Amino acid sequence: MQNKLSFNQSSASLEIIGLPDYSINENKDQISIISQWKLTIINKPLIEGKMEHLHPIMNAFYIYSNLLIKNVIPIYESKLIDIKADNLHIHNVVLKSSKPNVKPLILKIGNSSLSDIINCFDQLNESSKVRIKKTVVSNYTPKEGTFGLNNKVKVFNFIMPPFIAICSLIVFSSTFIYFYNPVEDKEKNALINTK
Amino acid sequence: MRKSYVINDIKINEFDALIRITVEMSKYLYPYIREILKSKEDNEENSVIWNDFNNRFIELINERFNVDSMRVKKLLNQAENDEIIIKSLLILSFCISNHGYDKLKSFLFDF
Repeated sequence: MQNKLSFNQSSASLEIIGLPDYSINENKDQISIISQWKLTIINKPLIEGKMEHLHPIMNAFYIYSNLLIKNVIPIYESKLIDIKADNLHIHNVVLKSSKPNVKPLILKIGNSSLSDIINCFDQLNESSKVRIKKTVVSNYTPKEGTFGLNNKVKVFNFIMPPFIAICSLIVFSSTFIYFYNPVEDKEKNALINTK
Repeated sequence: MRKSYVINDIKINEFDALIRITVEMSKYLYPYIREILKSKEDNEENSVIWNDFNNRFIELINERFNVDSMRVKKLLNQAENDEIIIKSLLILSFCISNHGYDKLKSFLFDF
């Protein structure tokens, strides 16, 4: 008999199905060997998968939510899942099946559903009854988007102010510059001597 | 940014306390935060909620913030403040778990 655990948050529900690991004397109500998981979002198709899919999907949502908050264009791409922002309020999730000849599942979720999903994953991460690899958000940088451009812009912003300052200093100081003319100086000296 | 004539640097324990209060408040207010976020997804259906929230937000900013500051002016500009408000609400909605304190702290350092 398999154990079932549900984590709910408003419009999203995450169900974890699996067994305890008796080899390490776990309680019978714990789950360490996940056989299946289901993510239900109201008015959206059911998302389900096996243990090996859960961690990459959780990681994708965590990384995407981090990118969304930082001032980077939020794009996450992997073999299993792509998440992209349609606009400030709607996010495009593309779930690619590992089975051949299965079309990818495309979902459009709003900010409210996204935060519900993140909170379901948080509950799972914090649950003492399920033992999973903890999701740690790494410093993921999108392949596309403005991150590369941002770096260029940062370098540009770093170089341009001193460059403009030096140029303007040269232009302004050149108008007031006193050119030493030795011929004129000699004439002046000659005039003083004659006096 | 605040409407104050005294410049006081926040102490680390005060900063921590503020984060803890914010996390607890966002746990309590999550259903409301969610509804405000949702109202912007369906602009035609629920725009009343967003407009009410935005009006109250601007009212409070006018009341408590230094409106001569450029950063505050940006917050008051209804054409520009959408992104700031949405991101702030998203940060709050992502931090309602038991580890919300650590999450909010790291979000604030990245924001």
